[in-house]
Amino acid sequence: MKFHIRTLLVLLFLSFTLNACDSAEPDHDHAGEEELITRVVVTLTSGTETVTANANDPDGDGTGFEIDPIVLSSGTTYSGSITLWDDVNLENITEEIEEEDDEHQFFYTVGGGVSDRVDVSITDRDSNNLPVGLTFDLVVSDGGPASGTLNVVLSHFDDQPKNGSDRSDETDVNVTFTISLQ
Amino acid sequence: MSVNFARLAGVFILVVLVTGFPCESSAQSVQGRVLDENRMPLPGTQIVIPTLNQGTVSDEEGRYFLDHLEPGTYVVEYRFIGYKSEIRTIEMKSEIVVLDVQMVPENVYLDEAVITAEHQKEAMLKRSTQSVTVLRAADLDSKSGLTLGETLKDLPGVTTLSTGPSISKPVIRGLHSQRLVVLNAGVAQEGQQWGGEHAPEIDPFAMARIEVIKGAAGVEHGVGAIGGVIRLDPPDLPTNESISGRLMLSAFSNNRQGAGSLALQGGPKAIRGFGWRLQGSMRRAGDSQTPDWVIGNSAFQEFDGSVSLGIERDSFHLHAYYSHFGTTLGLFKGAHIGNMDDLLAAIERGHPSVKYTFSYEIKAPKQTINHDLVTIESQFRLDSGDWIEAQYGLQSNRREEYDAHCRFCDEPGKKPAFGLSLTTHTLDLKLRQKPRGKFLGVIGLSGMNQTNTNNETGYLIPNFKALTGGIYTRQTWVQGPLTLESGIRYNYRWMEAFPRNSVSSGEFTLQNHTYSSLTAVVGAVWQFSDHWSLASNLGSAWRPPGVNELYNFGVHHGTAQFETGDPTLGGERNYNVDLTLRHVAEHSVAEISVYNNQMNGYIYLHPQVDPVVTIRGTFPAFIYSQTNAVLRGIDGLLSHDFGDRFGMSVVGSMVRGRDTKSNDHLISMPSDRLTLNGYVSLPTGTRIRESEFHVETLLVRKQNRFPTEIELVEPPSGYALLGAGFKGAFFFGPSLIRFSLDINNIANVAYRDYLSRFRYFVDDPGRNISFRLQLPFGRS
Repeated sequence: MKFHIRTLLVLLFLSFTLNACDSAEPDHDHAGEEELITRVVVTLTSGTETVTANANDPDGDGTGFEIDPIVLSSGTTYSGSITLWDDVNLENITEEIEEEDDEHQFFYTVGGGVSDRVDVSITDRDSNNLPVGLTFDLVVSDGGPASGTLNVVLSHFDDQPKNGSDRSDETDVNVTFTISLQ
Repeated sequence: MSVNFARLAGVFILVVLVTGFPCESSAQSVQGRVLDENRMPLPGTQIVIPTLNQGTVSDEEGRYFLDHLEPGTYVVEYRFIGYKSEIRTIEMKSEIVVLDVQMVPENVYLDEAVITAEHQKEAMLKRSTQSVTVLRAADLDSKSGLTLGETLKDLPGVTTLSTGPSISKPVIRGLHSQRLVVLNAGVAQEGQQWGGEHAPEIDPFAMARIEVIKGAAGVEHGVGAIGGVIRLDPPDLPTNESISGRLMLSAFSNNRQGAGSLALQGGPKAIRGFGWRLQGSMRRAGDSQTPDWVIGNSAFQEFDGSVSLGIERDSFHLHAYYSHFGTTLGLFKGAHIGNMDDLLAAIERGHPSVKYTFSYEIKAPKQTINHDLVTIESQFRLDSGDWIEAQYGLQSNRREEYDAHCRFCDEPGKKPAFGLSLTTHTLDLKLRQKPRGKFLGVIGLSGMNQTNTNNETGYLIPNFKALTGGIYTRQTWVQGPLTLESGIRYNYRWMEAFPRNSVSSGEFTLQNHTYSSLTAVVGAVWQFSDHWSLASNLGSAWRPPGVNELYNFGVHHGTAQFETGDPTLGGERNYNVDLTLRHVAEHSVAEISVYNNQMNGYIYLHPQVDPVVTIRGTFPAFIYSQTNAVLRGIDGLLSHDFGDRFGMSVVGSMVRGRDTKSNDHLISMPSDRLTLNGYVSLPTGTRIRESEFHVETLLVRKQNRFPTEIELVEPPSGYALLGAGFKGAFFFGPSLIRFSLDINNIANVAYRDYLSRFRYFVDDPGRNISFRLQLPFGRS
């Protein structure tokens, strides 16, 4: 009998000493990092004029998400480029898309009052000669002031084949900038 | 399972004992008590003296009495279904011989024992004040190779929540995950149960018995036993037996799955009461297939093993059990979507965007889960005759989930998107009192210490540490046909968590929580006639909010919901009333149960008006909130045989869930279902011992009761599935070999179950032909 009670006490003791060394305290330097896109930068250049617009979602979760308006001149052709950043992990995601350009495509859609006035055409091609969209031409036709939107979508093609015209079910970026024409 | 009940009832009059033989009067008698493996009374045990053709049955307290015995030597046999028959030799000299007998459960390798329905009936009618369904070894064998969720899904009141073919979670009366307690070899399973895609980490191959207790069972089973308890027990160890074993093999056509399990056991004579078992199993499956599509990347593989050692003496038992569960499973690629627009596009398309081809390869997105359990259990008898039981459990659960592409890193599937490691220590102490008068009681103490940590990558739930304690007592009072029970329990939990205030960044902040509650139960069983009993149970249970409900923050893949936790949530408590009518007769068995489960502080995802707009697009927003809810329903089974050859059974379940604050339906309630089963047994001989055909139809109604503002699309239509099979057993030398061939979804119907989380993207699997073989060895 004594023996059994001793066994029990040993078990009890074991279960709590084993616990003494457990800690739930996270490693503040390393735990829980996640790769994501937090900032999209659209740069439009025409001659000496450069327009830069940031869409910045600092945590990637919509908190403090700010999108700069884009102001453009009528009757101007801009050459555009887009860069993507992970400001949490200080990474330039653009390079990774360049490396995997056959699995990605940007889709630029103009809406609102500028849909007849702004035209975007992708200028870069992947190894299969399909559009990528890291660089593009943006043409603003003549006319008075107008306002509308520019929607930028980055589709990731993993299993779904990239055909150059359809989006995939995996959207990495979906941002809508406002555009004002002067 | 239902078939089995019918069969059991079918052999009702196997042994008719003549108890009233006129003998010469004499004062000699033998008396005593019959106890089960836990030293609990075993009512209904048959006690027979074959040479005299005389016998009796033990009463509710396990007592028996045989008189009018002549002086002399007799062999007395004790029989009870599910237990090994015990044989004792007595010498009648004095007037009264007192003989207490402890019965040992029949181990899984024995063939079905000689069944005498009298005690089966008694045991069934009085077994619990709650609705309970038991799957025994034979029932489990007919489902070998399936996951736990799939194994249980045909039971009354039980359905499955599935995330593709590889992940299925049992749902009892509409409740699952943290609202169920799963007891794995006596230890409450503590795995990562943070979502619908996290299935219990248990290998059904290792189990000899599964018991499903429906409804609140918070007093005995503690925190979380709101919807019910699933108790899985490995086979008992042999003692005094030479080495034997069993090989089980199964194959499935749909996903070209092979599964196998090998067990070896023995009980060396040299050490009295010592027994051991080694068991290992594996499953490997390729992609499942709907009638028209391959469910891309739904392959999985699993390797499990267990070791068990035990020693049993008259007043002392000690058992040690170790089990490992390890699985790698793929998640359907087509359900990996970016944002709300992507989800709507996939739903509108109605089928996968890619024609996948069959493969065994498991690519990202995938999960790898390892679960190890070590448990040491000891029971010993005090001088007073009461028993003390102590069980310590150590569980380590490691879960890693791999995203389809670790966004832009080079090799998806190499580095997990997140990894969690949960370590749990549990200690349970019980004083099981010997019967005192008409009372029988248990007093228990339980404690748990749990730590969860994230590894370097990713983040699903915060690191936390929790201490949980409980103290309870339960008393049973037995008087003739009436059994009454009552119990009360106090629970306490302290938790510290380290959440961060955004998905990706933000400091970890320490937050402390404490919760406590009182739960209670009262119940009764009344056997009001030979063949009928009525049981009722009013029970409550409680659980503190899960760490995911407190701190979730981010998008749930596959549903594109942006889910946010609420650190101020309180506990969830329910009051469950349940009324069960049981009937056991020569040719029929029935158990029908109705219930009303009132849940206060029911935690659910409350939809928000404004979506969350992120750089990735728009997501509908949900916040964990509390409301009051009522789940009510009816479930049951009815089986009937027409003599030895034909039989049929019906199993049905119906659940209704309402949010009583918003007066709306609860989301994700299982649809109504009915299973109809019929069998024909063919004549058997000395060599062929079993040969049976069966057909089965599962009818599932469309779920028309759902909250329209939360559900994205209407639930899928109802469906009917037809199945058929043949099973047989024959002697090959001394070994009884069993085999079965089954076809599920014969018509290859394309359907989607409402509780399939992939219902937005793809059909459930189509026709499946399965073959099972069971080879025992080493026994005569």
